[in-house]
Amino acid sequence: MKIFIDPPNSLVLFDLVERFGHEPLSAMAAIQERVDNIEVDMPPMNVTLDDVVKGLKYAGIEVPSGVRGRLALWGPLIEEADAAIIMEDCPYSFGCVGCERSNLMVKYLIKRRGIPTLNVSYPETDEDAVNFVAQAKEWMEGLK
Amino acid sequence: MSEERETRLFMISPRSMLTPDQLVRMVHAFGDKALVKETCYGCLVEAPRKENLEILEKVREAYPNEVFSKIRAYRCSDPRRCRAQHGTRPGYAQLEEEWELLAKIQYGLEQVESGAVYTPKEGKKRLDVNAFKKICEVH
Repeated sequence: MKIFIDPPNSLVLFDLVERFGHEPLSAMAAIQERVDNIEVDMPPMNVTLDDVVKGLKYAGIEVPSGVRGRLALWGPLIEEADAAIIMEDCPYSFGCVGCERSNLMVKYLIKRRGIPTLNVSYPETDEDAVNFVAQAKEWMEGLK
Repeated sequence: MSEERETRLFMISPRSMLTPDQLVRMVHAFGDKALVKETCYGCLVEAPRKENLEILEKVREAYPNEVFSKIRAYRCSDPRRCRAQHGTRPGYAQLEEEWELLAKIQYGLEQVESGAVYTPKEGKKRLDVNAFKKICEVH
């Protein structure tokens, strides 16, 4: 199954999803597509006109362009996803820190799609980490 | 995901005794034609996706809970990213945060492997009205 990870650039979530036999949908794949095919310098900071139009599907015209640029990348991934895993209560500098509104919008889009979603909190201690890994494993095995 | 080129990042958990040098030598020893670049946290491997997945499988076989991996959008030594070519290196803060977290995740994986299961945390209970009244009366 294709699982969208949030934060979309997280190594831990990407690794765990792959480890437990699913395909992670991440920001890196979306950015690679733009770097390889249309040679955009720094997506999502540099976007094409098409991206701006795509972003309009997920966020209104009054929303800052940065949010639309990000959603142009992540929106199609959320649409493609069969499930999603969201890490909550992360430290400030964990994940895509550029714009909290984009992150909230991503969570809203996932909720609106109604796909199976696992909300996990950021593990602060070793015991939390055991619980986090066990919960993620059980959930992903249940998806098969 | 692109099938032609995949750049994969291998990061060693800080709880591991493995060094980036050892990891790179091991990946080279697999004999595949992948491009391998040693970094401070592990290494970058660039190859077609199929080959890369084979390398990942072999690395996981040798170090199941110590080495973590994800794909990377940019090529190895991309001038827009590589510090050696005065690139901006904008994703490094995130990698540093995750590197700190990996020690806990490694511990979690080891415990789950040896049979630990998920135990839900007790949720916050609602305060009883009478208990709340008592608190109010004290003050």
